[in-house]
Amino acid sequence: MSIQEQYRSRAKELLREGTVKMVIGYGAGTTPLRRRPIFITSPDDADRLVLDAACRTNLAGYLLREGLLADQKSVAVFLTPDGVRTINILAAESQLATEQVIVLGFQIDGENARQLEGTRVADFSGIIAERKKKRKEQPSHEVARKLEQMTSVERFAFWEGEFSRCIKCYACRAACPMCWCRRCVVDNNQPQWVNTSSHTLGNLEWNLVRAFHLAGRCVECGNCSEACPVNIPLHLLNRRMTEEVLTAFDYYPGADEHQEPVLASFRKDDPETFIL
Amino acid sequence: MSEPFEPKIVAFVCTYCTYAGADLAGTSRLKYPPNVRIVRLPCTGRISPMFILKAFQKGADGVLVSGCHPGDCHFDHGNYHARRRWTAFNALLQFTGVPEERVKFSWISAAEGIKFAELIESITEEIRTAGPFEQYHKLIAETGSAASV
Repeated sequence: MSIQEQYRSRAKELLREGTVKMVIGYGAGTTPLRRRPIFITSPDDADRLVLDAACRTNLAGYLLREGLLADQKSVAVFLTPDGVRTINILAAESQLATEQVIVLGFQIDGENARQLEGTRVADFSGIIAERKKKRKEQPSHEVARKLEQMTSVERFAFWEGEFSRCIKCYACRAACPMCWCRRCVVDNNQPQWVNTSSHTLGNLEWNLVRAFHLAGRCVECGNCSEACPVNIPLHLLNRRMTEEVLTAFDYYPGADEHQEPVLASFRKDDPETFIL
Repeated sequence: MSEPFEPKIVAFVCTYCTYAGADLAGTSRLKYPPNVRIVRLPCTGRISPMFILKAFQKGADGVLVSGCHPGDCHFDHGNYHARRRWTAFNALLQFTGVPEERVKFSWISAAEGIKFAELIESITEEIRTAGPFEQYHKLIAETGSAASV
């Protein structure tokens, strides 16, 4: 039985038993290589579920839809290990209770989706610890390495070019499972921290603020870069932040649901080489 | 005739240590460049990275952020939190090409009037050598508002 069939029957079962009130998964998209999130509440619809290597969106953010988890009922959701980390972070930030989340875990290896054992987020702690080790050894992105070689003037010019294309559609914010603030700092107008017009200055400020607010929270799922209509390499900023908290504080976001957020905790011996 | 370039530097300082240190520099009659505009805040933990961006948005050529030494915070651990934030934000600024000399972080206690005066002297000199933050000023000009502090 293919993994897709397995998960269809699993979803059917969960819904029929009443273990969950909804299954959040992937369905066919508008083109053969696209998948779209679907929200299934009846066992009969479970056959619409698709699971293959094209399922790349992190679906964890949909759990935060207003009122979805308010009735204390459970929801099953298709998640990669990064998706599971997202749930851990959201739980650590008191945005949801992990008891209400049933994980349909999978991982994409090249062209195939592979099943991951486990039903609760805690079952995946071993896989996540493994990923932390791998992340430490992973070299920086090719473009990021090139940027590090440049002078600051060239780097600034590079980002100026990238951000000049930004149209401030906030698709990155909408797609990000971590952007759950009811009122985003950019929507504040008293004081207005960030220029809201889509001048390069405002775009730069917006993207800096977003990257900073995701420091130690981003799981590098890629939803933001995927959503960006003008292809700004947002993942470069987020990856840089991930590498920074990993090297400076040995912090890998989403290790478990009780992990303290990196910028809301400290150690007395944190590094401070740059402070005069 | 154009006047020689005088950098505009904004210093975000905590009231218990660095502000008192600056005060000490003043009462000790120590001389330091008048290029720095001091903004006093309750604690370094109160200093949001937004402040730094705002200073640049308003045309600053350099920013200094300073507070109590680790362990000396009036609120016990505000500066420890600030330190983590600076580490992340500093890395981000460098990565996006804001030159190192434009944003400085330091610990200056209430007793370190001399350190304050010397630090202001050195960063002013450094930024004076580097010149105005043209790349940023160009972006400000695009928005139609004049760069000024």
